[in-house]
Amino acid sequence: MTVAELRGVGVRFPGGVRALDGIDLVVPTGGIMGLVGESGSGKTTLCRVLAGLMPPDAGQIEVAGREGAGFRRAVQMLLQDAAGSLSPRMRVRRLLMEPILIHGLPRAAAWAEMLALLHRLGLSGDVLDRYPHQLSGGQARRVAVARALILRPALLIADEPTAGLDVSVQGELLNLLLDLQRERGMTCLVASHNLHVVQRISSRMAVMYLGQIVEHGATATLFAAPAHPYTAALLSATPVLDPARRRTRIVLHGDLPSPVSPPSGCRFHTRCFQAQPRCAMEAPQLRPVAGREVRCHFPLTGPAGSATPSGPASS
Amino acid sequence: MTPLVRLSGLRIEAATSRGPAHLLRGVELTIGRGRILGLVGESGSGKSTLALCLLGLLPGNVTARSGEVVMDGVDLARLSPAGMEGWRGRRIAMIFQDPQAALNPLFTVGTHLVDVLRRCQPGVSRRDAVAQAGAALARVEIADPVRRLRAYPHELSGGMRQRVVIAMALLARPDLLLADEPTTALDATVEAGIMHLFEGLRAELAGSILFISHQLGLVAQLCDDIAVLYGGAVVESGPAAAVCAAPKHPYTAALLACELDGMPGEGRLPSIPGEVPDPVSTPPGCIFAPRCLHVTERCRREDQVLRGLAPGWQAACWRAA
Repeated sequence: MTVAELRGVGVRFPGGVRALDGIDLVVPTGGIMGLVGESGSGKTTLCRVLAGLMPPDAGQIEVAGREGAGFRRAVQMLLQDAAGSLSPRMRVRRLLMEPILIHGLPRAAAWAEMLALLHRLGLSGDVLDRYPHQLSGGQARRVAVARALILRPALLIADEPTAGLDVSVQGELLNLLLDLQRERGMTCLVASHNLHVVQRISSRMAVMYLGQIVEHGATATLFAAPAHPYTAALLSATPVLDPARRRTRIVLHGDLPSPVSPPSGCRFHTRCFQAQPRCAMEAPQLRPVAGREVRCHFPLTGPAGSATPSGPASS
Repeated sequence: MTPLVRLSGLRIEAATSRGPAHLLRGVELTIGRGRILGLVGESGSGKSTLALCLLGLLPGNVTARSGEVVMDGVDLARLSPAGMEGWRGRRIAMIFQDPQAALNPLFTVGTHLVDVLRRCQPGVSRRDAVAQAGAALARVEIADPVRRLRAYPHELSGGMRQRVVIAMALLARPDLLLADEPTTALDATVEAGIMHLFEGLRAELAGSILFISHQLGLVAQLCDDIAVLYGGAVVESGPAAAVCAAPKHPYTAALLACELDGMPGEGRLPSIPGEVPDPVSTPPGCIFAPRCLHVTERCRREDQVLRGLAPGWQAACWRAA
C-alpha cells in the first residue's frame, strides 16, 4: 500500500535553478517517513509539490490514488513557522472554521469534531476568542495542527517541526506527532535537518542532495551503515554526547555547488572524499544496494560507522 | 593559577512594561586561562546577556547592575566607556550568531580584516596588513585567500562568511574569544567544518574561549568546562566530561535526557514540562523548583546557591552531594 508516489518529478525556478530533478519516491502507507538534507537540497520544494502548493514542471505525483488537483484535501502541510502561518487578523475560532468552510464539510458535525480535536491537543476553549499573537508558540503550533487534521488527511507533511524549539520542549511536540499518527492511521512525512529527530521518529528516510534523492531506505539500515558518502558525512557531522559512540567526523570541503549549474556526473563528486574519475563523467542512477536505494558508483560497504574515508578529508 | 575571568554576584535588571526584569541573578562563573568554557541553557536563560555584559554592550533598558566582572585583575564593570574601548575588540573579541549581519555589505572581506589590524596594530603598513589578512583567511581554511580578500560578503556562502568573522576575531589575538551560537545559522556539514576549525584553533590561540550554545552535544565535544544557565543563574558548572557523564543538578540531568543522542529508542521522548521562569515575577525558593521532578517543601522555601562538590565542580541544589 502506498499513500503517495512521485515519478520523475522536476521543478525549475526562474533563473534556471533546478530545485528538484528526477525525483522518484514511493511513500508507503502508515508510519513516519523522514526527509533529510541541508538548506538548498530541495526538501521544502518536495514538500510543497507533494502538498499541491506548487505544480511540478516534469513528472507525475499521485496521492491517495489521485493525481493533480484531485489530492489537495488528502494532503495537509504544517509550515515551518506555525505562528506565521496563522492570519494575524483572525481569531482562533475563525481560523479553525476556515478549512471547514473552504472544503465544504458539514458545519455542525465538523465543528463538534474540531472541539474534540482541540481537547485532544490539550487546548482549552478559551483560546477560541484569542488572536494568534495572544497564543504561546506551543499553542500556535497546536492550532495549526488542528486546522490540518480536521480534514482527515491521508498524508500529513511537517516541514522542520522542531526548528527553533529548545530541546526541553521538542520531545513534547514529537510525542504528539507520534500519537496522532498512530491514533488516526495517517502517514507523515517529516522534513528535518536534525538527524537525531529523524532517527527517533521515522521508520523510513530519504536523503536529498542538490535536488536529488541520493539514498533512501529503512531508517535503521541507513543509520547502521550509510552507503552514500554524503549520508555518511551527514551522520558523522551530528554531535553526540557520549564520546564512546562518536563517529569519525568526515569534514566536507567546499560549499554546496550552485543549483543553477550542478556539477557534471555525480552532483556530489566535488565534495566527495572518495571521488573517482568516473564520478565526474557519468551520473549515477538510484539503484538497490544492500537493502536500500543509493545514487553512487562506489557505495560504502561495511559495518556501522566504519565509513572510514581515506586521504586528508578525515579528521 | 588565577582564572582569566571571574564573575561574581553578577546581577542585571532591565526595565519592561511589567516592571523590572531580572536578566541575570547573581551569576558565579570562572573562565580558566587557555580553556574553552561551554555555556548552555534554554532560550531566555541569559546566555547572550552574559556575553554582552563581558563586552560592555548591554542594551539601553538596563536599569541596575551589581557584582563583579574581573578579567586579569581589572573589574570591567567599573571601567568608563572609554576605558572599555581598550578591551573590546582587542583583548575581548566576539563571534556573533549571524555572520551575514556581522559583516558590512558595502565593504570587501579585505577591508573588514585590514580595519581590525589598523585598530590593533596602529602604524601597520597597508602592504603588511593585506599580507596578514590573507594569511588569516588561509588559517581559517578559506581556499584562494588573495581572491577572497576582494570579495563582498554577499558573494560568500554562510559557512565562508562565518570563517571570515572568525578570522577577524583572531587577528586581534584576543585573550578572551566569545562565540555566541556560532554555528546555529549553518547547515550540519558546514557546522562540522567550523567545529573542526575551533578544535584546531585551541593549539594556536593562547587565550580562552567562551562558547555559547544550546546544543549540549557540541559543547561536550569541544569544551573543557561547562556551565549551565537557568533563569539567569548558573545552576551547575564543572569539567564538561564529568558533568555530562554524571550531572548533579536536576536541570542539567533533565536537559541531558532531552538530548536525542543517536540511540535508536522506542516510546515517549523526554521533555521538561513547564516553562522557563518569568524574569519579572519569580516565586521564592529554588528557581528550578516549579519544573523539578524531585521537588520538596524545602526547595520551595530556600533559595539555592552554588556549592562545591569536587575541585572545580559546583551545583546549586541542596540534594547534590
